[in-house]
Amino acid sequence: MRALYYTKIDYMLTRKQMRILPFFFLLALFVSRSTSEGGLSLLVGCSYVVFIASIFSTAPFAYSGGKNKGFLLLLPATVKDRVAGRFLYGLSFVAMLGLLCAALFGICKMTGMEVSRWMIAAGLCELAIGIVLVTLQNLFFYLFGEGKDNWQYLNNIVRTAPGMAMFFGTSALVGEVQDAAAAGTLPDLETLSGKMMQAGVVSVAAALLLTVIAAVVCAKVISRRDYA
Amino acid sequence: MELLEVKKLSKQYKNFALQDISFTLPKGYIMGYVGANGSGKTTTLNLITGIQKGNGGEVHIDGLSREEDERAYKEKIGFVGDDCYFPGDFKIKHIRRALQDFYPTFSGEKFNGLIRDWKLPENKPTKDFSRGMKTLLMFASVFARESKLLVLDEATNGLDPVMRTEVLKLLQSYVMDGERSVIFSTHILNDLEQIADYIYFIHEGRTVLYEAKDELIESFLLVKGEMAKIPPALKKELIGLDENAYGFEAILPSDKAELLGNAFLCEKPTIDQIVVHYIKSA
Repeated sequence: MRALYYTKIDYMLTRKQMRILPFFFLLALFVSRSTSEGGLSLLVGCSYVVFIASIFSTAPFAYSGGKNKGFLLLLPATVKDRVAGRFLYGLSFVAMLGLLCAALFGICKMTGMEVSRWMIAAGLCELAIGIVLVTLQNLFFYLFGEGKDNWQYLNNIVRTAPGMAMFFGTSALVGEVQDAAAAGTLPDLETLSGKMMQAGVVSVAAALLLTVIAAVVCAKVISRRDYA
Repeated sequence: MELLEVKKLSKQYKNFALQDISFTLPKGYIMGYVGANGSGKTTTLNLITGIQKGNGGEVHIDGLSREEDERAYKEKIGFVGDDCYFPGDFKIKHIRRALQDFYPTFSGEKFNGLIRDWKLPENKPTKDFSRGMKTLLMFASVFARESKLLVLDEATNGLDPVMRTEVLKLLQSYVMDGERSVIFSTHILNDLEQIADYIYFIHEGRTVLYEAKDELIESFLLVKGEMAKIPPALKKELIGLDENAYGFEAILPSDKAELLGNAFLCEKPTIDQIVVHYIKSA
């Protein structure tokens, strides 16, 4: 329960960024609908959402460094509570943006855009990648970056680069798929959609398991540290 | 009955070591924890609150160690530092929400009452509070719930005299029920004269003095006189001999008073004078 209270504090700490989230949602909607790949552009929109999630979900580290950290350390809870709370913040953020992706799919379908089952499965894989990215970022901040103000430059790279790489990677992949479809070399993805859906669900489950393991490792390592 | 028990607490840094700090503080008493800058005061208090981890030793609050039950241990502690530890972007409502979640004994009503009484601004982020307001906010967060040990790290520094007097009164009322205690580090040793029952003096990470305040004051004499008149036997016993334009000033253990004769002026020292002369002698 106290882990959830820490998650709540993280949301209070980062409340200002929540106000600009709708703007990013509109941008994701714009990306999903404006590119020429038809239904495929939805995946680009989702990868944009994951990019946003990977930047924003580690924001509490920026808000709770230095003097601001004292309050969190003095609260009656264990290191495990505190670390679990921070990881839950990241996961809840990804989950929230996952729901936004689902809303994107819904809006696009309602407006006549093609939304295949395999696209939903691919969206699940993107969600799993999002969870992994956020987990690895949390792991980095806890093990190496936390409290090191002079690492600001590296911290910023860690916050932005992985999501950005995924966004541009997905854009490039969508382009490849389109080229393959135009050349007639693309297998029928609809017939593979059942297996892809399974893969999507398994990848989300595996990503969640990785998150749990990472949280346990972080709690163990930082419980020996001062001011942690 | 002891409320705080510190046994052989140690902490090793590259250029500094806190060594074998041991003391007890009974329920209902206030301890002044004094020493020069960098002597290890904050480190000791951080080890007690659990913000830092020691290399050895034990701390028990009301019989409970952090290792036994970290949540219950921390619930017993109220901390007020010289710097505000609340996130700068938090307003009072955010602090209230967080405290309500974490402390079962937190009373929103009591907290609101203190905020009103002290005229703390509800709608400003804490980073925009004055220094005095920040200190009072930390006190409000502690007094609005049940705690056993109040740990103050230079909490009265930077407060104006009126507010400092107010805070000292708060501390005295905190220990009034005989169940709670205060450990108080400060540079303003005059504060300790007024409220401390025990004095723990630390220098370069080691214990120098640890006594009940009244006994400590009784156990020394402040000696003044002409430098030339000091006999060698007395010179050996004087602590922190300080030569000035008018002669010298030093402290002397009371049990060596027979060495003085009648050539010197003697008076009861203040805590401040004892500490300053000890630091000079180190």
